[in-house]
Amino acid sequence: THLRAWDSWGLLACLCTVLWHLPAVPALNRTGDPGPGPSIQKTYDLTRYLEHQLRSLAGTYLNYLGPPFNEPDFNPPRLGAETLPRATVNLDVWRSLNDKLRLTQNYEAYSHLLCYLRGLNRQAATAELRRSLAHFCTSLQGLLGSIAGVMAALGYPLPQPLPGTEPTGAPGPAHSDFLRKMDDFWLLKELQTWLWRSAKDFNRLKKKMQPPAAAVTLHLEAHGF
Amino acid sequence: MALFSVSKTAFLLAFLSLRTYQSEVLSEPLPWAPESLKVSVNTTSQCLHLQWTVHNLAHHQEFRMVFQIEISRIKTSNVIWVENYTTTVKWNQVLHWSWESKLPLECAKHFIRMRSAVDAAKTPGPRVWSSWSSWEEADVQNSLGQDPLFVFPKDKLVEEGSNVTICYVSKSHQNNISCYLEGVRMQGEQLDPNVSVFNLNHVAFIRETGTNIYCKPGQGDGIKGTVLFVSKVLQEPKDFSCETQDLMTLNCTWDPGSDTGLLKQLSQSYTLFESFSGKKILCKHKSWCLWQVAPESQDMYNFTLTAENYLRKRSVHLLFHLTHRVHPMAPFNVLFKNVNATSATMTWKVHAIGKYYTLLCQVELYGEGKVTQHNVSVKVDGVHLFSGLEPDTEYLAQVRCANGNHFWKWSEWTHQNFTTVEAAPSEAPDVWRNVKIVQGRCVVTLFWKPLSKLQAHGKILFYNIVIEYLDRTSGSEVLSIPAPASGTELPLNQCSSQIRITASNSVGTSPASVLVVSREPGNEEVEEERVKGTEDGFPLSWNPQPRHVTGYLVEWCEQPRDPPCDLQWKNLGPNVTSTVVSSDAFRPGVRYNFRIYGISTERVPCLLARKTGYSQELAPSDNPQVVMTNLTSHSFTLSWKNYSTESQPSFIQGYHVYLKSKAGRCHSGSEKAVLSDDAVCCKYKIDNPEQKTFVVENLQPESFYEFLVTPYTSVGEGPHDAFAKVTTPDEYSPTLIRILLPTVFCILLIMITCYLKSQWMKEKCYPDIPDPYKSSVLSLIKSKENPHLTIMNIKDCVPDSIEVLNKQEGTRKSFTETESTKPTYLYLLPTEKRYSSPGPCICFENFTYNQAASDSASCGHVPAPPKAPPSQLGLLTSPENLLKALEKNYMNSLGEIPAGETSLNYVSQLASPMSGDMSNLPKNPPEPALCSEYKMQMAIPLGLASPPSSGSSSLSSITLLDEGERYH
Repeated sequence: THLRAWDSWGLLACLCTVLWHLPAVPALNRTGDPGPGPSIQKTYDLTRYLEHQLRSLAGTYLNYLGPPFNEPDFNPPRLGAETLPRATVNLDVWRSLNDKLRLTQNYEAYSHLLCYLRGLNRQAATAELRRSLAHFCTSLQGLLGSIAGVMAALGYPLPQPLPGTEPTGAPGPAHSDFLRKMDDFWLLKELQTWLWRSAKDFNRLKKKMQPPAAAVTLHLEAHGF
Repeated sequence: MALFSVSKTAFLLAFLSLRTYQSEVLSEPLPWAPESLKVSVNTTSQCLHLQWTVHNLAHHQEFRMVFQIEISRIKTSNVIWVENYTTTVKWNQVLHWSWESKLPLECAKHFIRMRSAVDAAKTPGPRVWSSWSSWEEADVQNSLGQDPLFVFPKDKLVEEGSNVTICYVSKSHQNNISCYLEGVRMQGEQLDPNVSVFNLNHVAFIRETGTNIYCKPGQGDGIKGTVLFVSKVLQEPKDFSCETQDLMTLNCTWDPGSDTGLLKQLSQSYTLFESFSGKKILCKHKSWCLWQVAPESQDMYNFTLTAENYLRKRSVHLLFHLTHRVHPMAPFNVLFKNVNATSATMTWKVHAIGKYYTLLCQVELYGEGKVTQHNVSVKVDGVHLFSGLEPDTEYLAQVRCANGNHFWKWSEWTHQNFTTVEAAPSEAPDVWRNVKIVQGRCVVTLFWKPLSKLQAHGKILFYNIVIEYLDRTSGSEVLSIPAPASGTELPLNQCSSQIRITASNSVGTSPASVLVVSREPGNEEVEEERVKGTEDGFPLSWNPQPRHVTGYLVEWCEQPRDPPCDLQWKNLGPNVTSTVVSSDAFRPGVRYNFRIYGISTERVPCLLARKTGYSQELAPSDNPQVVMTNLTSHSFTLSWKNYSTESQPSFIQGYHVYLKSKAGRCHSGSEKAVLSDDAVCCKYKIDNPEQKTFVVENLQPESFYEFLVTPYTSVGEGPHDAFAKVTTPDEYSPTLIRILLPTVFCILLIMITCYLKSQWMKEKCYPDIPDPYKSSVLSLIKSKENPHLTIMNIKDCVPDSIEVLNKQEGTRKSFTETESTKPTYLYLLPTEKRYSSPGPCICFENFTYNQAASDSASCGHVPAPPKAPPSQLGLLTSPENLLKALEKNYMNSLGEIPAGETSLNYVSQLASPMSGDMSNLPKNPPEPALCSEYKMQMAIPLGLASPPSSGSSSLSSITLLDEGERYH
């Protein structure tokens, strides 16, 4: 589950190159309004990149928590993490989602997850971990902006946060430090699942919105932590 | 007091009555017994808090009382703790007492009761206790909640090395619950059916986020855990020290030791408290703190540094006088003024530390591998003069300062470099010369050694040479040789001259070296002496000169084998008569020549002695190239004139001549010697190294000898590898040569004559065989008998035929009636039967000439089967007939062959069968009638025909008859 630092930088460089060349792709460089296609592609690429970034971060963070949280087969019940947005959904339900709902769910989920993640960053004891978390939060903020861009391009309004439901840093009432560690574990796991789901969501949207010409995608491996 | 005595008496009476009538009065409460006992539980600190009051205490009464407290676990009979708590009790006072449980209080029920007694430590006798209070129960388990599993204590913070007890409480009555510490299963003990306890001894720090402990049931996925935060033990700050640079601020530093920070606990904090002023500050940094000094107000400081975390507090103290802890800042603005060849002035500034303080500064100077140190007292500006410096030399100066009144610490060094200026060279160059006479003119080669840095006082730019001729008429010459030359060659107009050499740099000129050259070569007849080199060099000594000399000089070549020889010299004082010349360039096996001169007051050198020697002698590596002359049957002469004794790796003492012979006898003048390869030979010894010829005598004629000439030295001989070989001639061989040579010459002459006259000889001895085409017989036959008759062409000839001829006397027959020219074949018939078809025949065919024939088993040399006439066939049915037929045919064709002979003839395919015997041709020459055919590899059944064998057997006679020849 460890991804070496150069690997991450290599991927980042690769992603930057892809993003740089996106305007040069003929299908995306039409005169006039290019439509939502480029921003969907960009968002898709960003989810794949974040998946990789998270894998490295989660490995470091779970080692920081210690066993059993860093054990590969550790799969505790999802008890205290009920307030986390759940990525797992029935396949038929997922298929039947319309574009607006699909994007809204993504946007809401990442808004919440980003808040929790910032709380995690505040607690972290080591400077290196804080740096990694801050870097990831910035990337996640970018993803959120990207999703908002897609929604705007498609003419969907952004969901308004309901008053009182905004999480305040940590998911749920953590009774003990052990439960807090469990929440951290679930936050990272749910984030990973959301990134997988988003990749599929945006792939689906991409196919739906675009002719097959703009086929600049990153094929990245995704594994669990 | 009286009241107290009365009360006490009453109490004692009551106590005695209690003892006497215990059963009856047990329920009756005694005065000052504890009452209203309340127990509360603090799970965070795992403490039981007790509070109670004392019954019947009068308004102004105040007693010192002892309360005995009993704590039981799980059941009242299981008492785990008894403690006497002594305190002074007043009227209406609520008493408190706390107890910390090692076992988490959630793990088991606890029961508490107490009784009291007046503390009568001063009065003898047993203590009279009140009755026990009733048991109070402390049970937290009921308030835990509905979860099936709990792990306690929650998030406890302990120090490293503590002992911790963990427990789980299961409400689902599962027995197979397993618990893990950092992923490793723990073994515990069961406290009751639902509770198990795990004791962890000497827990260690693992990480800031704590040690994870969790339990899970055998079935289901419920997992419960707790985090045990283990902190490192807070250490006492080490090396606590305070000092000031400017008497304004105190900088206190210490070594904090290990960090005790955890996720649950911040790192330890440090506070600095000064007891005289009563001021206290919280330090922002872990290892240092700044304290502002109130000006002119306080000299003594007593600091207490306290390190503190959640679990522990540690302090260190420091008392000092402020002016004794001055650590000045490094000096600045270091400059050099008035830098000349031998001195320089350094100035610097220091940071002021108050009006009345003087600084002590230390100045160090590094240069030419030496260090000098000076102390200077400074108020604000420091000055120091460096003198006795070397010209043109780089120096490093550095300065540091300390409080002059009370030394505490030196400041940091401040460095600065400077270089002194150049001065004129201080020494004359060390010069020597070599004088040659070239075409009647003196040519002087001057050599000089470069001045050392200490002598040159700068960069030498050129060398000045002034030649003054001594006869005053030729005047003088001036030359300038640019550096870095180390010598020059000067042709002199006159030999008698004085040469002055000086070296110049940019500032001035050195003193002059003076040499006097004279035409007299000096005392060249001085005998050469040998000197033995040692590891330290060559020890040379000479006789002191009666005349006054200004000094001596030894010269030698360091590379005597290769010109230029790298002339070296060594100047010595006038009182020195021995020296040791050493050099890294000296090599073993090289001969060095030393010449010792005395230098007169007129600067004229005079050769005093010549020495030669080796630093180490080596055995010769080569033998002389020997030439052998005058070889006779009894002697020969050996000569090695070209062998140079001077250029050998050691002094040659003589030569050994080794002579090997088969006889092994040694004559007078030689001795037997055994070589390293066990060969025995005769050894002749030559003692004079300059004798380079030797006559070996008393040899045997016609004998083989081997000889070797090798030099011998004090360290051994040359190699014994290549013996030259020689064989002495026969005594009579010159006479024999006188006879043999003319004989050989004559034979050669005859042979040449024979060769030149070979044609003539051939004609006379063996003339050529005539050609049938050119024969006169051919024209004769053509005209008489048959106009179609021709000589057989080579192409028509049947290839290689073998013919067996059996001649008998008296059976000659003329062959004139032959009509056909076709060849006739004779077929051998092994049986009596008559054959009308062609039968097997014995033939030898060469496939080279007739490939088709090989395919036919019936000797298909002839395409059509030959039809033998009946008469002929009839004749051939028996061997006798065959023989007859053969004989007849043979006789028909070769009637003139001598009778009584049976022979196998080979008839060449290239020539007529008759061609070999022209003289035996019949009158009517036959066609190639008899062609014995040779067929290679033809399979012939053995039963049909025997192989032909030479001899008299008639069966072996195979005659192949001409088909055209009819037998009548």
